[in-house]
Amino acid sequence: MSGRRARCALTFVIASSLSFFSRTERARAEDDDATSNPLSIDVHGFVSQGFIKTTENNYLADSKRGSFEFTEVGLNFTKNLSDRMRVGIQLFTHDLGPLGNYATRFDWFYLDYRFFDWLGVRAGRTKLPFGLYNETSDIDAARVPALLPQSVYPVSNREYLLAQTGGELYGDISLADAGALEYRLYGGTVFYDTADLSAALTNVTVPYIYGGRLMWQAPLEGLQLGGSMQKLRIDAEDTLTAAQTMAYMAAGLLPPNFMGNISLHVPATLWVGSAEYVAHDFSLAAEYSRWIVTLEASVLAPKTTVTSERGYLMGSYHVTPWFTPGLYYSLFFPNADQRHGRAAYQHDVAATFRYDLNAYWLLKLEGHYMRGTAGLDPTLNGNVPVSSLVQDWGVLLVKTTAYF
Amino acid sequence: MRRSLPHRVRLLLLPGLVVLALVAEVGFVRAESTPDFRLIVHPDNPATSLTHDFVTDAFLKRTTRWGDGEALHAVDQRADAAVRRAFSEHVLGRSVAAVKSYWQQRIFSGRDLPPPELESDDAVASYVSKHRGALGYVSGNFKLEHVKAVALQ
Repeated sequence: MSGRRARCALTFVIASSLSFFSRTERARAEDDDATSNPLSIDVHGFVSQGFIKTTENNYLADSKRGSFEFTEVGLNFTKNLSDRMRVGIQLFTHDLGPLGNYATRFDWFYLDYRFFDWLGVRAGRTKLPFGLYNETSDIDAARVPALLPQSVYPVSNREYLLAQTGGELYGDISLADAGALEYRLYGGTVFYDTADLSAALTNVTVPYIYGGRLMWQAPLEGLQLGGSMQKLRIDAEDTLTAAQTMAYMAAGLLPPNFMGNISLHVPATLWVGSAEYVAHDFSLAAEYSRWIVTLEASVLAPKTTVTSERGYLMGSYHVTPWFTPGLYYSLFFPNADQRHGRAAYQHDVAATFRYDLNAYWLLKLEGHYMRGTAGLDPTLNGNVPVSSLVQDWGVLLVKTTAYF
Repeated sequence: MRRSLPHRVRLLLLPGLVVLALVAEVGFVRAESTPDFRLIVHPDNPATSLTHDFVTDAFLKRTTRWGDGEALHAVDQRADAAVRRAFSEHVLGRSVAAVKSYWQQRIFSGRDLPPPELESDDAVASYVSKHRGALGYVSGNFKLEHVKAVALQ
């Protein structure tokens, strides 16, 4: 109870600070001289507090009884060093059930130099351009739904899907009457935060991550089509308990000289095809994705490869500047070759009402009808196998965000 | 065996999609109204007309340079200004709210910053008159001094 009060107090303090900063920022934007001052620093930030309640099954947090463990706070600073060079940094902290726990991290930081419109380079920690919305998947103000389609943007995979540390090339290439191409190519590594992982996993590293995104801006303004691909490998060690080791040895599954650690290599290839159309107040997006993940263990398990299938269709409309309803349907098959049984799929129909109360504050109400238990976490559900959880269930989300 | 979505879910989806379609139609009709703004540049800028695509790219920062290599500085107006609404609908092809959503995505992903928002036609004209690479827009009836109007192709 005291922890919840502390979080509420923290949120209030940050919101008050953001309100102060927002007035400062507005005053700066209104200052004509400041807009031309190359030494001015742009400051932007947000604080989000949500509530999640499910009719059945714990989802993302201890949601059956209702949970306020749904908080995001970010603050960024960007400075134009010249009309070609920019530096920026964003601090981010969040809490979502067992994830985050208010650990403050660098969400991104970079040095950006744009040689031409068709060629720029960034170095540092940069958001991964995977699909339409991965880069802003934890930025509530940047989208209509409180929860993006979890099939393509799962918050539980945030650590290795959100950002990489390395380099990136980007640019916009005009195709004259045929529109334009926007490309992003990146490579580097991911510094994994093991706080959110199983205690048995140690020495988690990502030897490489690379990929790219190519989007075609069609001649019809607001229409873009494209695809993204990402390849990475996660290495880790899994430590067996003495009892487990004895049992596996007795069964002849472990060599006699086994020292207790299993080396794991998880190479993965992810791709997504994307389409988005934004016209006037209307927005429609659809994405289809497959993730091919292989598990290679030094002992115990044979090499296995699983392909998951993911996709969604999402629409929204700005009825007024302050009211935007949205709808989406999302589907997820953890194993595209195994689609039977409630644990083999997740169908998610979501409806959102976004209210922009003013230029710095919004409120969202969102309901989900869920069918299937894929994507649920057994550890949040008393270690009950997902195949035994309730098949049809609902989610209610209330979320408010202050931003500037 | 997988079953299709329950009847009650389909009942929820159908009116939602109908509402989206209807309000979208209203939006498209509204966008056909005559624009009431003029594009302005610095008097030393040699341009006399700009293409629709160039202006769109400039304000979405896909283009950052003029043809002669000069850095391009687009400057916007307040989100609640009538001239901003007209410009946004007619040139960018999307509402002010949709454009702000576009910039929220870029600001918080570290991609870029939006053009500065100035308070009035006077402020925009003043800014453009002081910066050779500036591109702005003002209300159709605004009296131009020390800036040059350019045609939108």
